[in-house]
Amino acid sequence: MLEVKHLSKDYGGITVIRDLSFTVNAGERRVILGPNGAGKTTLFHLLTGVEKASSGSITFAGNNISKMNAVERARVGIARSYQKNNLFEHLTIRENLMLAAAAATGKSRWFFRDVTNQADMKTRIEETAEQVALTDQLDMMVSAVSYGNRRQLEVGLALATRPALLLMDEPTSGVGPAMIDTFHQLLETLPRDITILIIEHDMDLAFSIADHITVLNFGEKVFEGTPEDTRGNPSVRQIYLGNGDETYGASNDHA
Amino acid sequence: MFYQSRLRSITLILALGFLAAYASFGSYFAREIVIEITILAILAISLDFCAGFGGMVSLCHGAIMGISAYAFTIMSVKLGLPSVPSAMIGLMAAVVFSGLVGWVTARTSGIFFIMATLAFGQMAYTFFFKSRWLGGDDGMGGIDRFDLSWLGVDMNDALVFALFGIAVLLLVYVIAAILLRSGFGRILSGIHSNENRMQAVGINTANHKAIAMAASGLMAGIAGILAAQHTLYISPELLIWTVSGEVLLVVILGGIGTLIGPVVGAIMLVMLKHELSNYTDYWHMIVGMVLIFAVLAGGRGIFGQIEYWLITRHPPKAPHLPPAKEKDLA
Repeated sequence: MLEVKHLSKDYGGITVIRDLSFTVNAGERRVILGPNGAGKTTLFHLLTGVEKASSGSITFAGNNISKMNAVERARVGIARSYQKNNLFEHLTIRENLMLAAAAATGKSRWFFRDVTNQADMKTRIEETAEQVALTDQLDMMVSAVSYGNRRQLEVGLALATRPALLLMDEPTSGVGPAMIDTFHQLLETLPRDITILIIEHDMDLAFSIADHITVLNFGEKVFEGTPEDTRGNPSVRQIYLGNGDETYGASNDHA
Repeated sequence: MFYQSRLRSITLILALGFLAAYASFGSYFAREIVIEITILAILAISLDFCAGFGGMVSLCHGAIMGISAYAFTIMSVKLGLPSVPSAMIGLMAAVVFSGLVGWVTARTSGIFFIMATLAFGQMAYTFFFKSRWLGGDDGMGGIDRFDLSWLGVDMNDALVFALFGIAVLLLVYVIAAILLRSGFGRILSGIHSNENRMQAVGINTANHKAIAMAASGLMAGIAGILAAQHTLYISPELLIWTVSGEVLLVVILGGIGTLIGPVVGAIMLVMLKHELSNYTDYWHMIVGMVLIFAVLAGGRGIFGQIEYWLITRHPPKAPHLPPAKEKDLA
């Protein structure tokens, strides 16, 4: 489904992603773990084409998409939700979902026909709202709903494009425990025809939804395996979960 | 996002009805005022289309109008083409120019977009100002109005021409409303709201904005043909940036992002100008104060503010409040 080979990215002299390779199977839930600055969000920038990789290749559904720009990659079915809310602020939730759905179905070239009353659009908006548990808030302005609801809409905008690959950048960032449960349920009910790559800091959530976990540190892959293996791996514990060894950070101050 | 609410429809009918009545029962002078209003209102709708809904605050709409007027005049006067094909070519010239401006400037935003459009507008102004073949600063005359004698009407009659102007204004409003309600228009509003996210869901926003500018240019071009037909004479003064500035003022005065607001704004400005100039030479100051008041009182403009009051007092099931003021000029 997704094959990343020898991917590297550097800004000037600083290497943020170093020779990264991994493969994600269709329908898989892959969690990306790593401490702050490990290159997780940069990896998403590279996968969505917002930033160009310095070297390496990305193959998606059998096609090399390395040369494609962000808009082209979105059109082949790669969607993304953001760590910081990136919504259509002065519109309602329904309008937000409508825009994403209209964009993904090529209705931006409808010059005369309204899209808001189209049956297929309505169905898609309502289905997406149900997936992200926003059915009751559909006609509310984004500015009038809670932060948690906006996080749900953030994922909803990506889902409304009916992606084949969904990249979720910390969907639960900044939300409370009750909302984390909502996201847990959301992730478990998403159909398996969507492949999901997710950056997640909530360990319980990450370990319970993941099929495989890829651990990054300083832009390099340090471990990849099932949640059980990850939990038991000593180097992962050291890097990510911490073992109280204070000398670790000092020995890596080059990055 | 655009919605043709009942309030907007009523306002449109009232505005057009008022203009028709003013022209029908007024003097020759009143009819001239009505034509002036219709041209300004069409241009303001055109600007609101791209500024209020696409976030592209253009300062070259006067130039787009002027290019259409010049192309029309060149075709009909210099080359002797009939007026309808000449008008078509005029509109095409406006679409091509504004599409080009949009294509070049779509990657910029905010103040840079404004300055880039200003530069394009001034280039066009200078070109016509310097062109001897086109009469330089004297401009060109000898324009004929459309021949509607097959309808039994004489376009040289001021009342007929004023009513024609009102009909064209209605047509332009309908074109703009249809485009804004379409998938294209919805996405344009989305780009205005959050361009980055619109790209992330697969829209080439630069192209989309360029097409929106071209569509806006079509409407501005219609104003240009009407302006040329009105005075039967054109000069580079049509293209000066202050024309664009005045249109922007009309849009803000009436209510940016409301589509009908600019029509209200055009009526207000022209009426104020003519009424006040009877009493004082300082009418600009009074118009300025009205504008400052309109901006300070929420930045929604006259129609926008009234609409906001009505909506907040009687919230409909899905409230579609006009966007906040600072978004529109940012």
